[in-house]
Amino acid sequence: MGVGEAANAILDLEGVHKHYQTDRVDVHALRGVDLRIATGDYLSIMGPSGSGKTTMLEILGLLSPASAGTVRFQGRPTSGLDVTALAHIRSQEIGFVFQAFNLLPRLSAVENVELPLVYQRSGGGPGGRRSRRDRKERAIEALRRVGLESRAGHLPGEMSGGERQRVAVARALVNDPAVILADEPTGNLDSKTGEEVLSLFDALHEQGGTLVVVTHDERVGARAARTVSVRDGVIERDD
Amino acid sequence: MDSARQALRLLRAYGLRSVLTLFGLVWGTASVVFLVGWGESLEEVVDRGFEKAGRDLGQLSAGTIGEEFTPSTDRRQLLISWQDVAAIRRQARLARAVGAETRRYLPVTAGSLSFHREVRGVEPEGLRIRAIPVAQGRTIRPGDVGERRPVAVLGFEVAEDLYGARPAVGRRLRIDGRFFEVVGRLERMGAQFGQDGEPIDDQIWIPITTHFASWPTPGTEPNAVSTVLYRLSRSSAVDATEDELRRLLAERLGVDPKDEEAIVGWSASRTLAQIPLGELRGILALLSVTTLAISGIGVLNLMLDTVRQRRREIGLRLAVGARPLDVVVQFLIETATIVALGGLLGIAIALALILAFAAVDLPEIIPVPRVSVPAIALALGVMSAVGLIAGGIPALRAARVDPASTLRSDG
Ligand SMILES: Nc1ncnc2c1ncn2[C@@H]1O[C@H](COP(=O)(O)OP(=O)(O)OP(=O)(O)O)[C@@H](O)[C@H]1O
Ligand SMILES: [Mg+2]
Repeated sequence: MGVGEAANAILDLEGVHKHYQTDRVDVHALRGVDLRIATGDYLSIMGPSGSGKTTMLEILGLLSPASAGTVRFQGRPTSGLDVTALAHIRSQEIGFVFQAFNLLPRLSAVENVELPLVYQRSGGGPGGRRSRRDRKERAIEALRRVGLESRAGHLPGEMSGGERQRVAVARALVNDPAVILADEPTGNLDSKTGEEVLSLFDALHEQGGTLVVVTHDERVGARAARTVSVRDGVIERDD
Repeated sequence: MDSARQALRLLRAYGLRSVLTLFGLVWGTASVVFLVGWGESLEEVVDRGFEKAGRDLGQLSAGTIGEEFTPSTDRRQLLISWQDVAAIRRQARLARAVGAETRRYLPVTAGSLSFHREVRGVEPEGLRIRAIPVAQGRTIRPGDVGERRPVAVLGFEVAEDLYGARPAVGRRLRIDGRFFEVVGRLERMGAQFGQDGEPIDDQIWIPITTHFASWPTPGTEPNAVSTVLYRLSRSSAVDATEDELRRLLAERLGVDPKDEEAIVGWSASRTLAQIPLGELRGILALLSVTTLAISGIGVLNLMLDTVRQRRREIGLRLAVGARPLDVVVQFLIETATIVALGGLLGIAIALALILAFAAVDLPEIIPVPRVSVPAIALALGVMSAVGLIAGGIPALRAARVDPASTLRSDG
């Protein structure tokens, strides 16, 4: 790999394996994955159920460690980092969108969007925390980007599925992450509301954002600049 | 604080269960503040009672020869004469003062009123030992004893019973048919602990010589005294002082000084030492602290349950950048809010109760719980420990939630 290429890479998987070990089974979910995600990529990961897509996203999102191989974030290996350092990277550089939205039901839209900022340690306040005011402003701004500024005070239960997922997208981009990782973001949405979310992704991509989207949805595959096909824990195609 | 707000939401969500949990905390801290405060005043009440009876007061009286002592077949009642007391007083080195008293229940008549009261023959040495202040008139003087005058000093209640609010001094009354002039009235003594015979408020005092002459002990020794009183000197221990007097008395009576049936000893300080006040207070503290600690189990259960139900929320927080420490702190604050809510309410209720008690006029023998700073400190301390444990265990469990699980939870 060239030096220039590596410097450009946000995430870089090299020979990554993942075993899930329980007392009864040992699942070999990833069997040697090489994948490089560069700034500005819009990448879709596709493949049959159980092929290891979510597992791959977990590892890309630094939510769970690889059993073997190397995971680099912005060029630096992550294997030596402790939970706190990993949490720090997630709070600064990674945005997540989940299939099940995962909004906290008792918090308003804007409070949900604020959540990643609550845990950031690079703001101006004491202990590096962001002030409540700063958090609120940024959260409103993120809601504006997904077109839900007017819904800021609503609880998730008071919004449609599409709106909820857009709130989740706002939460993913509120910390200005280097990469947004999404797992089946349209999985719980009908085609029309799914379309709303996907056009948001298009817009983010156009603004220079980096997106990795795990999906069964052919429309995502069509829009993404690059599609990775996974089967039985290995990458079958990458184009 | 967001976590504090979350704690209130949580209480609302758990409804009856949080009411019960809070009730446990309220009850627990209230009982610590109340019972420990009560224990403190218990000690004060006992202390005060002994102060009145004379903390450094001791007594010896005569009994019958014990079975292991010779001649044990001689079962007659031993008698201590006034002369014996005078002799002991001269010889004793350790006691500050030695005096005699003799007593009898006798009918007392004034006007149309008549009842039985304890009538004590006293001498100035004995009065100095008791040191009871006089409210009106005077006490028994050496001249009264020397001349066997028919004069009486009334205990507070006796004067009250006979004359009500009217002055008692200068009145005449009859004791067992004999006329006496009231020359004084004692101050109210109230509840006494370690009292011998009737409370001082219910006694009538006359000169000991008048007592001997009016109601002589039948038999060989008309001047027999009921008790030998002594007062400890500051420097001498009660046991040594009693031993000396016992030895001197035994010599005069011809009995073994170790025979505790022949010479019966009593001392206020020893009786006081025998009351297990420390243990009583300890039991009160232990009971109440245990109650509070048990209430912590309710909190622990509530928090464990909420952590179990909020795994998704916890996982999400961890995924978006919360450090495990942030999660621990969050649940500790939530627990602390709940514990503080119940605990401080309990302390407030206990304090209100204590103040209410203080406002009611209770007999002084009933200890009124006190606002005790150590009790409040104890309640706060145990509360904090309860919060730390009841919050810490669930918090650590919460911090171990796998953030990757957020990608897999459905719904
Ligand atoms: N926690 C786990 N313990 C054991 N096995 C697991 C665990 N998580 C995933 N697996 C297994 O790992 C393999 C890959 O799972 P993964 O969730 O990555 O598949 P996927 O491609 O996301 O499937 P889907 O499209 O159904 O979401 C599967 O066989 C799955 O059963
Ligand atoms: Mg999946």
